[in-house]
Amino acid sequence: MAISEAHAGRRYPPCDPYQVSAAKITEFATALGDDNPRYRGDSPIAPPTFAAIISAHAWDQLFSDPELELSLDRVVQADQRYTFLRPLRTGDVVIATLVVDKVRIRPGSELVSATVDISDRDAEPICTAQATFFHAREVPA
Amino acid sequence: MKATVVEGVEVGAQLPSLAVRFTRERLVRYAGASTDFNPIHYSEHFARRVGLPGVIAHGTLTMGTALRVVTNWVGDPGRVTSYFVRFTRPVVVPDDADGVEVRFNASVAAIEGSLVTISIEAICDGQRVLGAARAEVDLGIRVPHLDHGASHAP
Repeated sequence: MAISEAHAGRRYPPCDPYQVSAAKITEFATALGDDNPRYRGDSPIAPPTFAAIISAHAWDQLFSDPELELSLDRVVQADQRYTFLRPLRTGDVVIATLVVDKVRIRPGSELVSATVDISDRDAEPICTAQATFFHAREVPA
Repeated sequence: MKATVVEGVEVGAQLPSLAVRFTRERLVRYAGASTDFNPIHYSEHFARRVGLPGVIAHGTLTMGTALRVVTNWVGDPGRVTSYFVRFTRPVVVPDDADGVEVRFNASVAAIEGSLVTISIEAICDGQRVLGAARAEVDLGIRVPHLDHGASHAP
């Protein structure tokens, strides 16, 4: 059974907690070529797009869900939205939870929209990462 | 949060632009930092096999780099409240010392209270590689020119 519009609303179990570390923040900022001093020192905040690291763990659940029959080889990300109540910070232990918002079936492809909610251990929301993926259906050989 | 004063904030104002060279070295570094090891971002062989013209940059690398224009301007990245981009065109990164240049321009699109919406464009080889890119920042203060007629700040 492949992905269908009926999968809208499908919710996955929370991912394992992810601990935001100063070293990873600085490594990520350096990879972006960003020398902002807030990303450095003992207790940096994370660049906004650091949320991608955390949301990717949640996407793994989506792409490896056997019921949906998605293949990562044929997935292209179409858009990305981040919404922040506060920045991610050193020492945060965060939990990502993914829900499928919408599935649109097109000839030969699907568009899948999903939201990842990122919260702290007390379930206080920190940010959300919403993305739309284009998935090309396999062409029979 | 401490208030930030930004001079000359008005709709249409340009932010200082940024030009960045994406090289294979940068892609490898970003792959490790972001933990996105999709081989289309480092393997020519793999990229071509899936129909791409060559190794392409991570869309999130372009997205994250583009936001530097905004965070350089506002100073405190913690003021970013939302950020959206559409990935419209891949950035092909050649395997040479120079890589490819991506230029980022941004301007103030809207102001509402202390919230400033910045519109961003990313250009590579004369083509836009991000679409509808917008970041919203909360300056934590009312932008002065909007305060005409306001009797008190919230």
